[in-house]
Amino acid sequence: MMTKVTLRNLMAHKVRLLLTGVAVLLGVAFVAGTLMFTDTMSKQFDDLFNSVGKNVAVDVRAKKVTGGDEDGQNAQPIPASLVDKLKTVPGVKSAEGQVSGYAAVVGRDGKLIGGSGPPQLGVNWTGDDGATRLSSGRAPNGPGEVLLDEDTAKKAHYRVGDTVKIIVAGPPQSMKVTGLVHTGNMMGATITSFDTPTAQRLLLKPGQFSEIQLGTTGVSEQVLRDRVAAQLPGNLEAITGTKMREENKSDVEAFLGFFRTFLLAFALIAVFVGAFIIFNTFSMLVAQRTRELALLRAIGAARPQVTRAVIGEAIAVGVVGSTLGIAGGAGLATLLQTFNGGGSLVLTAKTVIVSYLVGIIVTVVSAYFPARRAAKIPPVAAMRDDVALPQRSLRIRLALGSVLTVLGAVLIGTGLAGAASSGTANAVLVGAGAFGVFIGVTMLAPMISIPVVKVLGWPFAKVMRVPGRLAQQNALRNPRRTASTAAALMIGLALITMVNVLGASIRASVGSQIDDQFGADYTVSTDGGGGVDDATVGAIAKIPGVRSASRAYTGNAVIAGKKVDYTAGDMPALGKAARLTMVSGSDDPGRAGILLDKERAKALGASVGATVPVTFADGRTVALTVKGVYDKSDLLGSRVVSENVHLAHTARPIAQVVAIDTGGAEAPRAAIENVTKANPALKVQDQADLKDQVSKQVDGIIGFITILLVLSVIIAAVGVVNTIALSVIERTREIGLLRAIGMGRRQLRRMIRAESIVIAVFGAVLGMAIGIAFGASLQQALADDGLNILSIPYGTLVTYLVVAAVIGVLAALWPAWRAGRMDVLRAISTE
Amino acid sequence: MTNSAPSTADAHPAPGAGDFAASAHRIAKSYGRGDAQVVALDHVTVGIPRGRFTAIMGPSGSGKSTLMHCMAGLDSVDSGEVFIGGTDLTKLKDKQLTRLRRDKIGFIFQAFNLVPTLTALENITLPMGIAGRKPDQEWLDRVVDTVGLRPRLKHRPSELSGGQQQRVACARALASRPEIIFADEPTGNLDSRSGAEVLGFLRSSVREMGQTIVMVTHDPSAAAYADEVLFLTDGRIVDTMREPTADRVLERMKGFDLPGVSAR
Repeated sequence: MMTKVTLRNLMAHKVRLLLTGVAVLLGVAFVAGTLMFTDTMSKQFDDLFNSVGKNVAVDVRAKKVTGGDEDGQNAQPIPASLVDKLKTVPGVKSAEGQVSGYAAVVGRDGKLIGGSGPPQLGVNWTGDDGATRLSSGRAPNGPGEVLLDEDTAKKAHYRVGDTVKIIVAGPPQSMKVTGLVHTGNMMGATITSFDTPTAQRLLLKPGQFSEIQLGTTGVSEQVLRDRVAAQLPGNLEAITGTKMREENKSDVEAFLGFFRTFLLAFALIAVFVGAFIIFNTFSMLVAQRTRELALLRAIGAARPQVTRAVIGEAIAVGVVGSTLGIAGGAGLATLLQTFNGGGSLVLTAKTVIVSYLVGIIVTVVSAYFPARRAAKIPPVAAMRDDVALPQRSLRIRLALGSVLTVLGAVLIGTGLAGAASSGTANAVLVGAGAFGVFIGVTMLAPMISIPVVKVLGWPFAKVMRVPGRLAQQNALRNPRRTASTAAALMIGLALITMVNVLGASIRASVGSQIDDQFGADYTVSTDGGGGVDDATVGAIAKIPGVRSASRAYTGNAVIAGKKVDYTAGDMPALGKAARLTMVSGSDDPGRAGILLDKERAKALGASVGATVPVTFADGRTVALTVKGVYDKSDLLGSRVVSENVHLAHTARPIAQVVAIDTGGAEAPRAAIENVTKANPALKVQDQADLKDQVSKQVDGIIGFITILLVLSVIIAAVGVVNTIALSVIERTREIGLLRAIGMGRRQLRRMIRAESIVIAVFGAVLGMAIGIAFGASLQQALADDGLNILSIPYGTLVTYLVVAAVIGVLAALWPAWRAGRMDVLRAISTE
Repeated sequence: MTNSAPSTADAHPAPGAGDFAASAHRIAKSYGRGDAQVVALDHVTVGIPRGRFTAIMGPSGSGKSTLMHCMAGLDSVDSGEVFIGGTDLTKLKDKQLTRLRRDKIGFIFQAFNLVPTLTALENITLPMGIAGRKPDQEWLDRVVDTVGLRPRLKHRPSELSGGQQQRVACARALASRPEIIFADEPTGNLDSRSGAEVLGFLRSSVREMGQTIVMVTHDPSAAAYADEVLFLTDGRIVDTMREPTADRVLERMKGFDLPGVSAR
């Protein structure tokens, strides 16, 4: 019988439950879409890496001594003679020397192809294998010939026979395309292939290889590995092909795992916001049905039966919302997949189960409290008009809300201070704290809403007079409802505000660091992994008006057992360009020296004159003398090593930045740009350009995160629609009365719109207050890491306030239209 | 004019005639179609004299509420004309009707008469507030004192008794000095003492302030407060009574309850 009641109620409140379903749908779609998209990417990478090096039984490579080998400058080359030697090991069927390095293709429009994330690879062509095959033309042969992969050729608008400019570490190369390579979906990576001597010359060193890959005659990978390892010099290692393929995968998997967690965090926020909407809708439905539920109780339904009836409705909404959500997620993932090179979507049972669980659990948990409240309705309410639902008193709410908020704040503080053992644990602390603050503030929101809504409603009361006053009063009428509706919007806006505050602070902090420390007149730097080649530096140094052009390198080393990075370069000229402030000693590390910043010197217990053993990427350890100690420098980092030492221990040194001193003159800029224009990977920047670049990067990140948060704002907007629509239905008689005594349709619509705006703006104001607090605490926590200036972007915040008002207007469109259409007579006679 | 010759029903009032605050000319209204059709008003002609307290009585389903709704511009008629003052309501669009209700008509309903978020005083001045007009303070004071609500003006409806709430509704209807006030079972939800208070107040506002009031009721003792009672049955006006008393009204009503007597 109660099942029938549940079903009938579902049918009777289709529209309201539909809006709730939309909240579930959007949240679940985000979760399902993320899972499907990352599963699909994961499968594509799996396919790719399973085919790459499929026939490799053993891989020989340099041991990794230090961290960080993204640019390949630390890779220790392997002499070609080793290839022949390994061919003689019993069980080795084939030995192929591999060369890989940085090589980028310049498109017809003069811009580099790819580069923002996926690698731009150059390799030696060793013939077709499982992953790649020559699809047209012929293999490269000679110093001026190159193969492009099909995708890159298409993007760059090149065909076989065209001449193409290739950027490598060194002067740009002009080469002829002799053929195209089919590679399958590379997901944005570009591959250029040369013959082996050319690859060695351009990417590595003549007569050297990056790796040697061995095929087996049938001996197991493990046995062959052991045999090969015995033949290797100390700086090389041999791994099985299986391990190599796994390592290839695990790098990508780690990235994908991070990407998935990142997206899921935002999906979780959307689901959390959806929970507010569900809670709100069910609370309102229960309140409206007080009499009916009391009647059920009066005729003998037990409390658990009433609870179950309401929970049953929630389950139905959860199931329908999740089903549609999975479909929506598939759509979302397909859309993302088209930007990612297409390919069919992977839908696993896990995705389906997780999506349903998320959708149903969130709906049921959110509806649980309203359901409990429904069961508490006394049977006598069926007979009387004035029985209010039992509500937890505001005092208990105040106490609970305050405790939760403070607890949340403490958790955030603890997490930010780094009290927990690991970074992940700290992040979890901060996340849990934020969750606590959101719930706590939501509980406090009814109390906060009263004064704030009075203030926000005041201009409406002033301008629109009676309809405005009524709107203000209506928003105050049920502070709990106003508060929980606003709270949903609060979350999205709090996070958006936080991101904006952080972004503005990064911009301001980095800006001031650039002002303080950027002493060069111009810098030449590179977008890709090729660095600034010597010929370019030489040409720049010869330009009249250029006093000096100093290279800066970065490297990786091990000091006192820790993997660290360092800077090397033309000291002390580079130090001047970075406005290095010395605490003690000299600003020139000399021939075998090192400079340390204050903090590092203290940590190592090293003062000027002490020696520090440093292990470089080639595995050799050198004792360097501390020549000077300097104040914290964001541009040079914590350690500066003598240039010649860095060059001696680095396989392929690459100058990342060249700092140019013109004595303040602007005239040489044109000449510098004239030199660099041959290589589109190079850019010339002055202080303002650099700040501009940082600004743009920050804006890009803010924009990306804001887009991810927009969905939760949309869900919150659905909540506002829901609340206003339900309020209109609840107040049918009152609206009828107002219309009867002469309120016009337009006045009525304005009144409803004003109420909606007040609620939305209240949510935004709450959210911004929290967002500023969050942003400021994060800034404080990161102050020592360079985020030393707190900047609150008031202009942007005002824009978001306006956006919130617009959301209010849009959310009221449908309810206001409905209210205006109500028949006056029927409205006043509604029960 | 005698009791047996209902003057208001037979005399076809001239449109916008000076002595009628409101009038209806052969208005008809029916609900539903075909077999299910219910005739609510069967070509009724009626004039509501200015400055008088008129009661409309009739058994359930007699069309008395429909008549009031149509005359007050809350409902449309199928045919005929309805005048408030000199304005034909049937020719007005919704916007003009709304404005007319706001400026020329006062309403008192059986229940749910007040906006719960506003204080008593704010409820009283609501129609003028909606119109964006300032209330006439002197008149407002007189109205407030007459209903005896001065000490409760700052209270919300939930803090007032049912009788007090209805008095606030009366004050709201009076405060904008409308051409005519329509009251739909104003005492239907009240106990007899509060009901008597409200009715007494309505009568005195007619006698002392010259207000025109039309009241729909099925309670003979309420009708006894009126200057004149119109009896409605099956969508027609069948009788009128001057200087009614509760007993005479009850007596007359009994006749309607008997089948066959009500019609012609």
